[in-house]
Amino acid sequence: MKNCATFGPHMIRMSKRIFLLAFLLTTTLFRGMAQTAPGDDFMRSMGKMYVVVTAIGIIFLGIVIFLIYLDRKLTKLENQTKHND
Amino acid sequence: MQLIREIAFLLHKELTLELRQKYALGGILLYVLATVYVVYISFVKVDPANWNTLFWIIILFASVNAVARSFLQEHSGRQLYYYTLANPIAVLVAKILYNFLLLLLLSVLTLGAYSVVAGYLIRQPVPFLWAVLLGSLGFSIALTFVSAIASKASNASTLMAILSLPLLIPILATVIRLAKASFIPKAGVMIPIKSDLYILAGIDMLLLGAALILFSFLWRD
Amino acid sequence: MIIKHGWKLLGVVILIYTFIVGLLVPLKSGILEVSPQSVQPGRNISFRVLGYNTHYLSGEIRAWLKMDEEYTLASSQILIQNDRELKVIFGIPRFLPTADKVQDFTLLLDNEVDGAHLLPSAVFVTQDSINPAMGRLEWPPERITDLHEKEGITFPFRNILAETIRNTYFHVPMWFAMIFLFLGAVFYSGRYLRSKRSVDDFRAFTMIRVGVLFGIMGLLTGAVWAKNTWGAYWSGDIKQNMTAICLLIYMAYFVLRQAYEDPDQRARIASVYALFAFAAMIPLLFVIPRLTDSLHPGNGGNPALGGEDLDNTMRMVFYPAIIGWFLLGLWMAQLSFRIERLKERLLENED
Repeated sequence: MKNCATFGPHMIRMSKRIFLLAFLLTTTLFRGMAQTAPGDDFMRSMGKMYVVVTAIGIIFLGIVIFLIYLDRKLTKLENQTKHND
Repeated sequence: MQLIREIAFLLHKELTLELRQKYALGGILLYVLATVYVVYISFVKVDPANWNTLFWIIILFASVNAVARSFLQEHSGRQLYYYTLANPIAVLVAKILYNFLLLLLLSVLTLGAYSVVAGYLIRQPVPFLWAVLLGSLGFSIALTFVSAIASKASNASTLMAILSLPLLIPILATVIRLAKASFIPKAGVMIPIKSDLYILAGIDMLLLGAALILFSFLWRD
Repeated sequence: MIIKHGWKLLGVVILIYTFIVGLLVPLKSGILEVSPQSVQPGRNISFRVLGYNTHYLSGEIRAWLKMDEEYTLASSQILIQNDRELKVIFGIPRFLPTADKVQDFTLLLDNEVDGAHLLPSAVFVTQDSINPAMGRLEWPPERITDLHEKEGITFPFRNILAETIRNTYFHVPMWFAMIFLFLGAVFYSGRYLRSKRSVDDFRAFTMIRVGVLFGIMGLLTGAVWAKNTWGAYWSGDIKQNMTAICLLIYMAYFVLRQAYEDPDQRARIASVYALFAFAAMIPLLFVIPRLTDSLHPGNGGNPALGGEDLDNTMRMVFYPAIIGWFLLGLWMAQLSFRIERLKERLLENED
């Protein structure tokens, strides 16, 4: 019983974080647009969780940029092989 | 023994060549004077912390310019001639020693000119001397090697600056921190400089070791 | 098949573990804020306490103001506002048992669900008339006993870090992955100089490429984290500077490659530079930061990774996270490498 009592609120927090992750980018975008005040208050809400979200977003973007870069290189190579044929 | 004789011969050759074409040395001297004067005009009054930093920045840029010529300005034909005659290690060590002497001369000139316009603010010469010695050695090793790397490219002198400046920052930072000890007014008080000395000597040794190992892969063309 | 591609799968599995555990495990209970922060002795003062991840409604709470191991003051009354807010009233004696004018106190709270949690230097008491002897008389010996521990798996709570302590699994491994990739590049550069096979040079080149990307991501994530904990994007901290220089050195590597047309000459000179640059970076990365003051843990007398900032629960995520991000980096480098190799083959066919 006691375990249940301690686990309940954690579950709520966990689902909250899953929600957070799922809407990671959209939320950041929307809130950023809606807020006119400097972003500090927003970044520091919810125990500064958005700092972690932003960090993960930056890494995600970095990897995507790398993928785009590879994609362009491959396209170039593909065009070259077409010429050869 | 053979190696030392080769080094001494090559060093002698570098020195005679340098003395023969006087405009090169004169150019460096003029560069130092011009930079010092620019610094003087922009700052007029310099406090000890800035004095130290500015001095080393002048040295940094003057060194890059001075050493850049060591491999860039040699005809590839003449280079090939040396390499068939001498051990590559002897070639590199002779160049490093020559550039070390050149940078020492450069430091003395800069110190003289700088002291005239901005005042002589050094209170304890010992740490400053060490900084000049070990700093010049480190600069000379890194710059000589980088000039060997850049020498075969088409836009060698730009490449030289891009490659060498970030590599020199660790030496520069340590040297500036070490030299700070020279500006403490009381001669009796010594702030500890041992750890900075060891770091600087360590960096020099590390760079020298890497340069000696890697140079044999560079010159074969 | 499995052996050939297993390491990629392993990297992804580890990263999934990192994301799930690193983001979902809750923080320990902690104290966000205490007001007023600065008080004077000799009166009853009611402090407003804001908790984080706390459950004040569920059970008896005790509170102390702690000066040192010897002198501790229990609260006279606690009013529970809600799960995250308390009003704690302390009757502070007229004199403090110290000769200092200003003394800081740690606020310590304890209940069954949240366990003991505290805020160091939560309250500063300024005394006008100093009398340590009277202070020692007025502070009765108080023993803190029967503290609780929070149950379940948790990460530590640090006041200024709060949830950003999770960045340990995203920001910090960037740096480690960068170093490992650069080390890999050193290995392949050395191998190129022996073997003269262009594939070795491509491996080194692509590893440096991904390493630089990781370095940039490390700097950017670090800047955002720094803004919200230290107060500025760029504080000129030694590790920030060293990483920036490190990136400059390796960006020069790309310029160097551009400068040489002949593939063999380019590969040889780039390999030599990569080795020399790494030698020049060793003091930059491993010696100078340790001797300079830094905001980062592990520098200038701060305890290294370990101590209070990285407890055993965090280690169980942090070490796998390093391996996971590194394997992902290797995978990215390998993709890039295969494209470079393909390009070379195409050029050969054309000739």
